[in-house]
Amino acid sequence: MIARRSMLFLALLLAASTLLLARTAAGQEEASATNPPPAASARVQHEDDEAARAEGERRFHANCGRCHQAPHKFPPRMMATIVRHMRVRATITDEDMKLILRYMTQ
Amino acid sequence: MLHLSLGSWRRNLPSLAGMLALLAAPVVHAQSQDQDSEPIRPVPIFSAGLAYNTFIQGGTAHLHPLVSPVILIPLGQNWLIESRDTFEIDLAPEPGSSGYKGSLQKEVDYLQVDYIANRHVTVTVGRFLTPFGIFNERLYPVWIRDLQSDPLILPIAMGPSGAQTGAMLRGGFDATRKIEVNYATYFSTLSTINRLDSDRAIGTRAGIFLPGPRLEFGGSFQHLLQDDHSNAFGIHFAWQPPPVPLDIRAEYARSHTGSGYWIESAYRLSQAPVWQNALRHVQVVGRMQQFFNGTVADDALPGINTNLFEFGLNYYFRDDIRFVSSYGRQFAFEGNENVWNLGLTYRLALPMWPGGGK
Repeated sequence: MIARRSMLFLALLLAASTLLLARTAAGQEEASATNPPPAASARVQHEDDEAARAEGERRFHANCGRCHQAPHKFPPRMMATIVRHMRVRATITDEDMKLILRYMTQ
Repeated sequence: MLHLSLGSWRRNLPSLAGMLALLAAPVVHAQSQDQDSEPIRPVPIFSAGLAYNTFIQGGTAHLHPLVSPVILIPLGQNWLIESRDTFEIDLAPEPGSSGYKGSLQKEVDYLQVDYIANRHVTVTVGRFLTPFGIFNERLYPVWIRDLQSDPLILPIAMGPSGAQTGAMLRGGFDATRKIEVNYATYFSTLSTINRLDSDRAIGTRAGIFLPGPRLEFGGSFQHLLQDDHSNAFGIHFAWQPPPVPLDIRAEYARSHTGSGYWIESAYRLSQAPVWQNALRHVQVVGRMQQFFNGTVADDALPGINTNLFEFGLNYYFRDDIRFVSSYGRQFAFEGNENVWNLGLTYRLALPMWPGGGK
């Protein structure tokens, strides 16, 4: 009886492990599908950075320009404080804050 | 239903441990990635707005130096302590004397603790600027405002000194990809402490911002919980049309102490086809305002119906230092008069922590 239960448990473990491996493999396939070769990956990363920079710049002018002239860039750690201050003072959104901080610290 | 004996658990323990390790691996990997992208650590900042203005109103000159230090202390990822004080002197000629005299005025504009609770809500406790309209909270500093004189309706619903002491919830969030919503709602308590005075009141302000056309509009409301339990309300509007360096802003406010509006337009000549090197630093400003007396007198507001037209010219040496000038004509029943202004404004910001400037 015990041997039968153990066999059943091991079978379930095997099935679970198989499912897990299948999931991991699928994840790797997805990753390899979404992660092109190194050169293409670098290009995609660069395009993403450019898009984030452009969006950050747009949001910087849209939000900061609502009240004052565009200031020059401050050092990153100062900029992190200023953007937090502006989040409270000018009620800018969380996403605006992150994109503006990224743009202003690049 | 499956029942396993203790012996079978023991025998299969290594397999179970292996499975758990496999399941946990992606989580551990993700956490290590999060740790790699550590956010920038904010640093305490000392900032200040400085101005030296000369106003000539009705033929009387007033010299007006002002310093407004701001301290920002971030704590962790979600906290911010911030304060702003104002020190100013209004020097005016003394009758029978050739000199100018005035006393130093000191004010705690705000001293508040902010806790960013989540993406939508920030909790503020302490003394904060009254969130009514847009001028008091966002346009008031001398280095920001396009014209150095206050709008006539500014004192409406502001409390004794433009600030209240209590608690506030505020925030901004994306309603859709093209619409952002911002809000502030507060409760303030009665305080008669010198320089920390406050009314017992509740109030709220809400606005909608369209990032595409850069258009913002909203409304404010305040209900006093003391004295005559009066109400005040206001609406505000701001627009920066993206293709041109033009700012259009307006506010309307109404309470039992009076009502009125201001509308301001500021144009930066950065797109001028000629003399661009010089003209791109120049900003032309115009503002029109009207004030109508209410049923209850307020010393901070004009005593009679007043119209004021102002024209200003600002020159930005840099984004933080500028020369300001304006001419205005005030029309009121008791007499019309000219209002002139010449001045300099400056804003500085310094880190208060070693390594903060890197």
